[in-house]
Amino acid sequence: MITPIRSTLLLLALGVSAVAVTLAWQHWTRPAIVDAERQLQASQFLAALPAQSYDNHPLDSALPLPADQPLHSKVLAAYRATRGTSPTAIVLVSQVQGYAGPIRLTIAIDAEGRLIGTRVVEQQESPGLGAQIADPQSGWLAQFAKHGLGDHWAIRRDQGDFDQLAGATVTSRAVIEAQQEALRYFDQHRSELLGAPGHE
Amino acid sequence: MNRFCLLATGLAPLLGATRSFPQAAAIGVCMLVLPLLHQCLLSPLRATLSGARYWLASLLLLAALASCLELALRAWALPLALALGYFPMLICLQCLALDILLPGTGRWRQLLLHLSALLLACLLLGAGRQWLDQVAGMHLANLTPGGLLLLGALLALYNWLRPTLTRRQGKR
Repeated sequence: MITPIRSTLLLLALGVSAVAVTLAWQHWTRPAIVDAERQLQASQFLAALPAQSYDNHPLDSALPLPADQPLHSKVLAAYRATRGTSPTAIVLVSQVQGYAGPIRLTIAIDAEGRLIGTRVVEQQESPGLGAQIADPQSGWLAQFAKHGLGDHWAIRRDQGDFDQLAGATVTSRAVIEAQQEALRYFDQHRSELLGAPGHE
Repeated sequence: MNRFCLLATGLAPLLGATRSFPQAAAIGVCMLVLPLLHQCLLSPLRATLSGARYWLASLLLLAALASCLELALRAWALPLALALGYFPMLICLQCLALDILLPGTGRWRQLLLHLSALLLACLLLGAGRQWLDQVAGMHLANLTPGGLLLLGALLALYNWLRPTLTRRQGKR
């Protein structure tokens, strides 16, 4: 056994080197982490858009959001996809209260105000029931494509146009409501969101 | 000391982070790497430090190792890191428990045996839960209680397949 002073010094050296290694490692991995986060965000937010429909980097410039929010859902961010000089689509990131927690959706809307597609970014719904909204195999979200504000945005039980997910009425209603409100939001703020003049 | 005592130290990550096979493989590898590195770095210190100083050194090492592991996961496997949540951090508790539970002699053999058994359990559980959830349609397997039930079934199968164990339990 060595003297207490020497063992304290050893401990101190160990602590300093542990902190130094961690900080160096953090410094070294930071670019990779930033890169990975951006890639993940892009793959989540732009998954609803067909790859050939835009040629800019929509996520690089988030649009300023108009102040008034929809009643039940909350629009968190908006991005504009353009091809050449004309805007082709708007991607809205919307959050709505589901059955077990907030559901975050990306909703892509084309310049004519029709839905291109919806993807789930984040959800905590019941596995096997509400969680099927995020399951690409269930295909439930695909039924909303190409629908606009003119349709009846509700499940059939509520005299609407759309099928519900079996056993997940609350989740189905929440997602449908969020999509309808996103379409209405787009309709109300069309010129601000699409931006480019000559498209009104 | 019961041999399953060692296995129980890794129970939380084993049940919490094995929803799918890739997740289970990742947490299994983390559970292999972190305790091994921790024990490697601690073994030269064991002779020189004692008591509270030893524990402090152990904790400092663990904090640095776990932070580096989490950063590495975030940098090179971000979707996986998000899916694993805080479970890679929980492996620290397992490392601390292991340091006490491992016997003084034959330490490395026990450690390697334990860690490879844990990795195998992770892989089996991950594959089983993914298969049950996605192919057989048993969504209970996706939840933690389902994982616990499946682990129980796996241990029962292990017990049944090992003739020495059944004999010791007084069947004959």
